[in-house]
Amino acid sequence: MPKKQPLLTALNILAAAGVLGALILILFFTPEEAQMGAVQKVFYFHVSSAWAGMLSFVIAAGAGALYLAKRELRWDWLSLASIEVGIMFGLAAILSGMIWAQPIWNTWWVWEPRLTTTAIMELIYLAYFILRGALNTPEAQARLGAVYAIVSVITVPLTFFSIRLYRTIHPVVFVSGGSTAFTMSPRMWTAFIVSLAAFTVLLAALIWNRTRLAALQSANAQEEN
Amino acid sequence: MQYNDAMTDTENAPVPPAIEVRGLSKRYNLQPVLKDLSLALADGSLCVLVGSNGAGKTTLLRIIASLVRPDAGFAAINGAALKDNAALRRQIGYLGHQTLFYSDLNALENLTHYARLYGLDNVADRVHAGIASMDLVNHQHKPVRTYSRGMLQRLAIARALLHDPAILLLDEPYTGLDKEAAQALDLRLRGLHQPGRTLLIAAHHPQRLLAFASQVAWLRDGRIAQIQAVDRLSETPDLLHYLAEAA
Amino acid sequence: MNGFSNYLRMVWQVFRKDLQVEWRGRQGLPVMLIFALLVVFLFNFALQLTPGLQAGLAAGLLWVSLAFASTLGLNRSVSLEGENNALAGLLLAPVDRSAIFFGKTLSNLTFTFLVALVLLPVFSLFYQQNMLNPRLVLVILLGLGAYTSLGTLLAALSIQTRTRDVLLPVLLYPLALPVLIAAVEASRGVLAGQPLAELQSWLSLLIASNILFLAAGLLLFDTILEE
Repeated sequence: MPKKQPLLTALNILAAAGVLGALILILFFTPEEAQMGAVQKVFYFHVSSAWAGMLSFVIAAGAGALYLAKRELRWDWLSLASIEVGIMFGLAAILSGMIWAQPIWNTWWVWEPRLTTTAIMELIYLAYFILRGALNTPEAQARLGAVYAIVSVITVPLTFFSIRLYRTIHPVVFVSGGSTAFTMSPRMWTAFIVSLAAFTVLLAALIWNRTRLAALQSANAQEEN
Repeated sequence: MQYNDAMTDTENAPVPPAIEVRGLSKRYNLQPVLKDLSLALADGSLCVLVGSNGAGKTTLLRIIASLVRPDAGFAAINGAALKDNAALRRQIGYLGHQTLFYSDLNALENLTHYARLYGLDNVADRVHAGIASMDLVNHQHKPVRTYSRGMLQRLAIARALLHDPAILLLDEPYTGLDKEAAQALDLRLRGLHQPGRTLLIAAHHPQRLLAFASQVAWLRDGRIAQIQAVDRLSETPDLLHYLAEAA
Repeated sequence: MNGFSNYLRMVWQVFRKDLQVEWRGRQGLPVMLIFALLVVFLFNFALQLTPGLQAGLAAGLLWVSLAFASTLGLNRSVSLEGENNALAGLLLAPVDRSAIFFGKTLSNLTFTFLVALVLLPVFSLFYQQNMLNPRLVLVILLGLGAYTSLGTLLAALSIQTRTRDVLLPVLLYPLALPVLIAAVEASRGVLAGQPLAELQSWLSLLIASNILFLAAGLLLFDTILEE
């Protein structure tokens, strides 16, 4: 039987409490934005998901570099876990972005730089799983997965800048010319900071759980052999 | 120097082994292939590496050739660690299961390519000598994809010897050779077996090598189970028995 | 012996050998060239292009055909090393293995650039637009430099998988997207008659990509190739 991990349990509870607390703040504490109305409240979890996704891809690259330096499979488990979790957060960011865009611009998808970059990142990291799946040994998966995670993270800022630059030259013409720009009140700021913190804790908890799962799977596979 | 045995008295300093590996471990697909393997060969040895299929002979040779990175342990040549020391590979000649040739190039072009990779002087002379020594002059302008298995093996041997390496790692060198070519290789190996050169030859059927080898190393369960001088094999009946079985 | 001159000699020899293999076998460049032309024809009808093509469309079409054709060359470049495990022969050479990366990148760049040099007059003919422009050639070199260095790195990854070369486009295209955006935009600007100074942002992005991918190859290529 695997050992109980009280720290992990505490982190799980903290993450759940944090997300719940942030939700309560957003629903009952923050004001409605004058132009956009209630839909603007998507903003808090949208930006927090995007942040958590981005952070997890950076963690994945860092863990990949540590694997290459130390050649201990636990760093690969961390890298893999971060990418899995990052893909989920990226998906959450895209979906919430679409929910936000629909009433404002009257369309589900806009080629907005951050949204587009996130979508491309999802494709990049989905290919990570195809790469791993096509490799035969855990060692090769770890080694080449690490290389890919590092190279991928290098291209993310390049992608973002290139799309932003592209948009300044070819601006999007919206059907109904709304805008997602708004000024944040102090209450909005509070809810925003709490959301960011809560999602960061949630990210840590998810990655930890997923890493532990990989460790247990590996121990299991060893026993079967 | 990575050779970290006590060497306080320089005058009586032991000469480091020509090939030394210590504590080598390598897992493949999470299964251990080599487990804490150690082996030292003095300069001028011709050691036959025996062991059943999948015992790890190829992996050991590939680690010493620095084609495979060990999970743990250390490999050195004449006392200098191979890790992160690309220039040391100049001293190693390696013959593997595959020929390492470009099929669209002919024998001359392939060997010239390797001679240039090693930065040799007199590239043309060396290449011609290599091709002549393996009796391939008549075929040297044909693309190697038209070669028979035996011709390819002969050319591959010429490639491994091209830069006159001090350390020779040969993995089943007799594969694909006919009787005549095998005898020629016997002669060649006898000639190469001299001070200043160390040979480690993996062979599934080691009999013909025992006629002129100096040592036999038996790889079993990921370790060197026994290593014995050829003229003292009677002292290790297990190994003698294994060799008789392998014949 | 001088370490750095050994290194350069190794880069040169890998490059030279690739050219020699191509000259003897002719299995890469002709395929790339025909494929690039086929892409042009395909897109011409798929997108209903007209002879008096806008600069933006011409630049886009040029880069799509180069990007697709280059993938074939990149796969050929690594698969020829796998044939008799000739790659191991390069790994045995007494030089740091990043030299292999630079040599292969150089040959991949050369082949794709040759395809571009054929495409430019063809485009000029088909779409009545003078594309034989030295500034465009500069943009193409910068763009292909970044694209082929990243491609060489990823081709060495994908060739180790069970699916082998099938995987390369899936790995390469999303990661190469910023390079392609910058290359298309810079080419469009050049064709629209903008001076290079106005395209500085795009050119900087291309130069930064070149540096980043070459550095990644320098640091990671040995790790990709070793077992």
